[in-house]
Amino acid sequence: MKASVETLGTAMSNPFREDLVSRNRPEPCTVVIFGATGDLTHRKLIPALYNLAVGGELPTGVNIIGFARREKSDGEFRTGLEVLNRKVSRSGHDAEVWDNFIHSVSYHQSEFNDARGYASLAKRIDEIDAGRGGKGNRLFYIASAPEFFDEILIQLKGAGLNKAKDGCWARVIIEKPFGTDLKTAKHLNKVVSQTFAEKDTYRIDHYLGKETAQNLMVLRFANAIFEPLWNSRYISHLQITCSENLGMEGGRGGYYEKSGALRDMVQNHLLQLLSLVAMEPPTDLSADGVRDEKVKVIRSLRQWDTPEKVAENVIRAQYTAGHVDGNPVPGYREEDRVSPTSETEAYVAVRLLIDTWRWSGVPFYIRMGKRLPKKSTEISVHFKEAPSVLFSALPGGVPGGNVLVIRIQPDEGISLRMVSKIPGTSLRLEPVKMDFHYATSFGKGSPEAYERLILDAIAGDATLFARRDEVEEAWRFIDHIERAWHESDNKPPMAEFVAGSWGPREADEMIKKDGFAWRRL
Amino acid sequence: MTTTPTDEYAELGKEVPVSQIDHELRALWEQDDARTNASLMNLVVYTERRGGLLENSRIIGDLARENACRAILVEIAREEETSLRAWITAHCHLSDGRKSVCSEQIAFRLTGRVTGRFRNTVFSHLNSDLPLIFWWQGKLSEVFTERLASVMDRLIVDSSSWADAKAGFARIAEATEGNTALVVQDLAWTRCWQYRVGIAGLFDDTVAQAALGGIAGIRICHSPQNRNTALQILAWLAVQAGWKHKGAGVFETRDGHRITAVIESSPDSAPLGLVELSSPGTTVRVSREKGSAHLLREIESGDYKVSSLSPADPEAAESLVAQQLSRGGKNSLFLKVLPTFLELL
Ligand SMILES: NC(=O)c1ccc[n+]([C@@H]2O[C@H](COP(=O)([O-])OP(=O)(O)OC[C@H]3O[C@@H](n4cnc5c(N)ncnc54)[C@H](OP(=O)(O)O)[C@@H]3O)[C@@H](O)[C@H]2O)c1
Repeated sequence: MKASVETLGTAMSNPFREDLVSRNRPEPCTVVIFGATGDLTHRKLIPALYNLAVGGELPTGVNIIGFARREKSDGEFRTGLEVLNRKVSRSGHDAEVWDNFIHSVSYHQSEFNDARGYASLAKRIDEIDAGRGGKGNRLFYIASAPEFFDEILIQLKGAGLNKAKDGCWARVIIEKPFGTDLKTAKHLNKVVSQTFAEKDTYRIDHYLGKETAQNLMVLRFANAIFEPLWNSRYISHLQITCSENLGMEGGRGGYYEKSGALRDMVQNHLLQLLSLVAMEPPTDLSADGVRDEKVKVIRSLRQWDTPEKVAENVIRAQYTAGHVDGNPVPGYREEDRVSPTSETEAYVAVRLLIDTWRWSGVPFYIRMGKRLPKKSTEISVHFKEAPSVLFSALPGGVPGGNVLVIRIQPDEGISLRMVSKIPGTSLRLEPVKMDFHYATSFGKGSPEAYERLILDAIAGDATLFARRDEVEEAWRFIDHIERAWHESDNKPPMAEFVAGSWGPREADEMIKKDGFAWRRL
Repeated sequence: MTTTPTDEYAELGKEVPVSQIDHELRALWEQDDARTNASLMNLVVYTERRGGLLENSRIIGDLARENACRAILVEIAREEETSLRAWITAHCHLSDGRKSVCSEQIAFRLTGRVTGRFRNTVFSHLNSDLPLIFWWQGKLSEVFTERLASVMDRLIVDSSSWADAKAGFARIAEATEGNTALVVQDLAWTRCWQYRVGIAGLFDDTVAQAALGGIAGIRICHSPQNRNTALQILAWLAVQAGWKHKGAGVFETRDGHRITAVIESSPDSAPLGLVELSSPGTTVRVSREKGSAHLLREIESGDYKVSSLSPADPEAAESLVAQQLSRGGKNSLFLKVLPTFLELL
């Protein structure tokens, strides 16, 4: 006798899950990856799924179907995935686990715009579900180039694949970039919302899957000592820095020319970090509880809606030829696939104001650049200085205020700069650093951001994904700047800096006007 | 008190007078700037087994890689003349291939009359503000008292090494009465963690879920030393699913039907070799070949067959301890299952 699944209802639950793990449960499902012969699938998605399998976290009964254009047999597809997994997998490559895992991976050849390809996909998924009594969950991962996002969604709907079967779910993960401005993002959101409910839509921002980004909330809300100080009374300003030492190697110039630092990094990753660091405590840890608070931050950003305001608060720049890590590197306009007259920024520094009670008068500074001296992403919270009545007469005075640094990558960790007395008979003060490195205290490595995020999507937890309104509000802010740069009559100038330096002089001057300086990393 | 190269305890590092331990530890760190001392906890490892001290020092060398700690190792030998010896050392490893990260270790060997001396010696060397994890190896002796338990945050024992588990847990219950903050962890329970995760995962499948109400038989296989683990996982199944123990391996579900559990011991089995739940037509199974690094998780229901591999639970006590340390938690599930387990013993 075969188990009857007709009796299945929402009342049916799994008693063994109770108490075992503190997360939503990832359920068996079919995962369809669009763009499966691409770089992202080979380097990130399949290794992430494999590593989930290694840890025993991938539910038994997950099927993975790769969807792309070129002709390939299942065998060829699997072999290609294996070659890359051997190279990049975080935990190495265990042949026994791989064999069991790859068994559930297959290839489906079709053009993105070919309705027959989706009809046959639907048939194939139905066949898989037949074994489960006709039930089955599905997760569509759109990992294609962005120009196909619409088409794929429309086709999914056309084939009825967006409709979940009774008692089951159908979800979609959408890769970045989510639009190129407010208009395209709104359009894409419209197409998405006609296909999937917002609760079933997962817009990836892999920064949110990083351990320290997740730890930001824990740091702020599980430690009683920080939250009382987390406001304009005690904090003078905050800086978010994302520096990269790479330039346009590996043909990256072609993509970068069309996006630029502001759209590629600030609109999504860095504004997400900003909202985590600036948000009010959420009422609960549900996806909407957290995202309700995050979006309020973005909505409260003062808009730089004239070219004059942009010129005053945003600096864009390109690098000229210089040296990084001791090696000569070309200037931005001389890079491969970059136009010699390019107007795309490879560096951006933005001064932001959040018009809320908590942050009134506290500037936030975001800077992002290519070909800076080193690769690093961090948030630094600069506290106001203590009243200097006591120590101001000392030689050297009080050396600066307290700085709390949250390092996102590399070497994730947290440090706090404090002032201390130098040992000796005289009273002299020096800053000292209390430093916490994840890798030192917790020897084991963190999972890759994609592992966490895919598992969350399978488990139905959207906390670490961007919601529709977050994305649109972020674009609204960014659009004013892009328009001033590219469409206004008095475009703010493009600054320059030597590759391998910490950015243009203009950015230093912008922050200096407020009486601050960029943190030296 | 001399340390010669032939000293059987040379491996424990530098022998120091007990009164000088703090001073010597400081000197140890001042010697070398390139090393970072990291610590997330005090880890006391207690043994009454001859030679246990040296073995535990080697274990800490491995354990500290992922669990930075101040390790305090203690070996007790009551039958010898009264003495107290102490050694200090640091276990270092390269983090990211560059920085040398170290955990410090103090080892004590107490002989002769122990009561009173033991507690004071150990507790004056704890790192303040960090939690105290106490790994008690072997049977609980009279050194395990309410006073001792009251300073611990977490007590790790292995009921598989006890001749009488009922008495062992009774002793813990007595010493920890009213102390709800102490987390007690049994390595026998940790040994079936991946099995529990596996079974829970399989019952997320709609086919397995549909069969749950009709489960009629349970089979569990274990190796001879791991009967407690087998009984604990059976107790867990029963408690979670709401089955009542009717005696002699028979359970009754809420709607009154019977489930028969068979427990088999075999020297050819992995510590836990099989947990199988079957209803007419459907089998849900997690199994492990002896020596294999993986568990096989399977559902079979007519033509519907799915399987996947997952990591097996480690076998060595130190790896189980490492796993517990990295997971933390209150272990409330174990406390929930404990009464049924004791009933099954
Ligand atoms: N690569 C990364 O590390 C990375 C990181 C973050 C985000 N992303 C985002 O992820 C997405 C994919 O990036 P990628 O680097 O993987 O791109 P890619 O290497 O160019 O891969 C594109 C994929 O789309 C398929 N494809 C293209 N046109 C098609 C059509 N008309 N019909 C069917 N399939 C078609 C290709 O299939 P064929 O090969 O069969 O033609 C290929 O599988 C982009 O949105 C990108 O922004 C990528």
